Amino acid sequence: MKNRAVLILVLSLSLFTCKKKTTPPSNLGAQNQVVPRTVRLYFESPALLLTAEQRSVQLPQNSAGAMPAVVRELTKGATNPALARSLPPDTVVRGAYLLPDGSAFVDLGGVTLTQGWQAGSHEELMAVYAIVQTVTANFPEAKKVRILVNGTPAETLGGHIALDRPLTPMSELVDPRAR
Amino acid sequence: MKRFALLAIAVLLAAASIGLAQQSSQATLRTPAGDKPLPTIHQNLMTFFSATDVITALGGAVTPDANGFKVTLNNVVAAFGPDSRFAVVRDDLIEMPLPPVIVDGKPFVSAQFFAGFLSRAADMEVSWDGTARVLTVRPQQHNVTGVQVNVANVQGTTKVVITLTAPIDYSIVKDAQMYTIRFKTPIRAPYTDQAHEDPNVSHTTFAGNDLKIQLTAPDVVGDAYRLENPFRVVIDLRKAAAAPAQGMPALPPSRPIEAPGIHTIVIDPGHGGKDVGALGPAGTQEKDATLTLCRKLATSLAAKTGARVVLTREDDSVVSLDQRTAIANQYKADLFLSVHMNAAVVKGARGSETYFLSLEASDELAKKAAETENASSKTTPNASSSDLKLILWDLAQQTYLNESSKFATDVQEEMNAIAGIQNRGVKQAPFKVLVGATMPAALVEVAFISNPDEEAKLKDDAFLATVVDALTKAVVRYKTDYETRIGVIQPPAPARPNVAPPPASTTTATTTTK
Repeated sequence: MKNRAVLILVLSLSLFTCKKKTTPPSNLGAQNQVVPRTVRLYFESPALLLTAEQRSVQLPQNSAGAMPAVVRELTKGATNPALARSLPPDTVVRGAYLLPDGSAFVDLGGVTLTQGWQAGSHEELMAVYAIVQTVTANFPEAKKVRILVNGTPAETLGGHIALDRPLTPMSELVDPRAR
Repeated sequence: MKRFALLAIAVLLAAASIGLAQQSSQATLRTPAGDKPLPTIHQNLMTFFSATDVITALGGAVTPDANGFKVTLNNVVAAFGPDSRFAVVRDDLIEMPLPPVIVDGKPFVSAQFFAGFLSRAADMEVSWDGTARVLTVRPQQHNVTGVQVNVANVQGTTKVVITLTAPIDYSIVKDAQMYTIRFKTPIRAPYTDQAHEDPNVSHTTFAGNDLKIQLTAPDVVGDAYRLENPFRVVIDLRKAAAAPAQGMPALPPSRPIEAPGIHTIVIDPGHGGKDVGALGPAGTQEKDATLTLCRKLATSLAAKTGARVVLTREDDSVVSLDQRTAIANQYKADLFLSVHMNAAVVKGARGSETYFLSLEASDELAKKAAETENASSKTTPNASSSDLKLILWDLAQQTYLNESSKFATDVQEEMNAIAGIQNRGVKQAPFKVLVGATMPAALVEVAFISNPDEEAKLKDDAFLATVVDALTKAVVRYKTDYETRIGVIQPPAPARPNVAPPPASTTTATTTTK
């Protein structure tokens, strides 16, 4: 009986400790209020160029909060079946930041990008610039985009396009009607 | 009962580990303005400091955003979030041992963040005394320079990188088996002696203001240069009669003399080893298709051009993107062609396209180099051009973009002459494999391996022979054109005698010099 009393004491103590020490991260402040906004997401058209699909999305009001949400929306793919998603389907958006000098950082993850993406140049070019185009089109203050993989600088996504420098939009990759 | 006792121990251990995982306590923040209490968190054997307390004590601010936090001080902004070990500041990253910890909405970060951020934002340095529990933030002591030494072997060359917290004068003396770097002002040595497992460097030792680099053999020779932002002294060490680095193909026996013209051509079969590249619907791997084609192309080029032809890989081995360019540079190649097979998500994509490096990528680097050059001319008036060596490596292709564009056009035009090939044109993009090439360089996407018809063609010897023939013609055409422009070979007699060839001075200005 004495042992059982000790056990109950230990259990209640540990529960108390757990409760005290595992306060959930609460860095989502008042800025987290969401409003509907129409965004332009870039996917690959049958003409092998990037084209925009407009979509209304619930977004945090400040652009720093909205940016990761918009890039996550891009990774969901197009609603128009004629448009192709360029990024691997299991891509996750770990974060997206905007610095006051106009540099946006998009941090990607997911099994394919982590283990090595078997991509061709064209699909890699489309994937990288779908992000660059989507970020710069929806956030005019973002002038250039740096892509990270798993929080760290990556050489390329699939062996072709250099990610060790900020990228600016390439209009020649965008369908003239969507520019 | 025994089971209960085991359970109790397990629960107790779990509770203890949670306690170990996160403990909050107070430390002292010491700034030039005085001491303040500083909340800290101890987790995973690391101390994390309240970013808000440190930054506001220095007159800055920490504000939350949806991803994490924004830190502002003296108009310098950094951002970090709980998911990443990297904070971003301007275009740069600050590496932290662990991601920030958020407790009650307040961010706690490791001392490395403050060291990285405050050196940029306030010219201050940070030290943590774990025994006295004092985090000291003070103006950087410019009279004592902090030193860090890194030794790394890159393709057979040992790079000793000495990073200094401020630019200071130094001299380098070579003894029989030792380089001594003598700093003219006091330094703060990170250690007294360190052994290295390196083919060229055995020990690095600090004594007073000297850093001694002990070499493994007397025939190790060095090449020293400076880099800025941060200030670094780099010493490249290699064996005096160094053959091409390990993993490089052996030199073909007949080395042409180093005269102007196209004498060495490097062909780069894309991908290799575990990097299979794109996959065709019937299972063809890009790495195999490129190697098969490039082997045939190398034979054809050697026969038709008389040039030395080098493949960046002769078999199914892994060769990094940087190494491919390094091979071309090491062989002082006059032309570089990377061969790939394309792939697209969109069904029906077909055709060939040729790339050269985009101006965008080189513009960014040119800006960076100019900034470095400016910084270098301010601090070291007699800085040699080798100070910019590493950035110039990145910038190398910029000088050759005009020639690369001509070469890419020749390649694409010859590819277009193949029956049934759709012309996707000459394009520019920031291809990593083209960035460091110090010669005209292009990348050809022969066909779409993702297209079943084109995948089948890539298995067809007759089609491959046509592609080899087209690429050989393109190289011969570029070689003839280039050598005519630089005056190595005489232009064919003009059709109309009154049309004079362009003056040599204007043509050579745009061509490569070795």
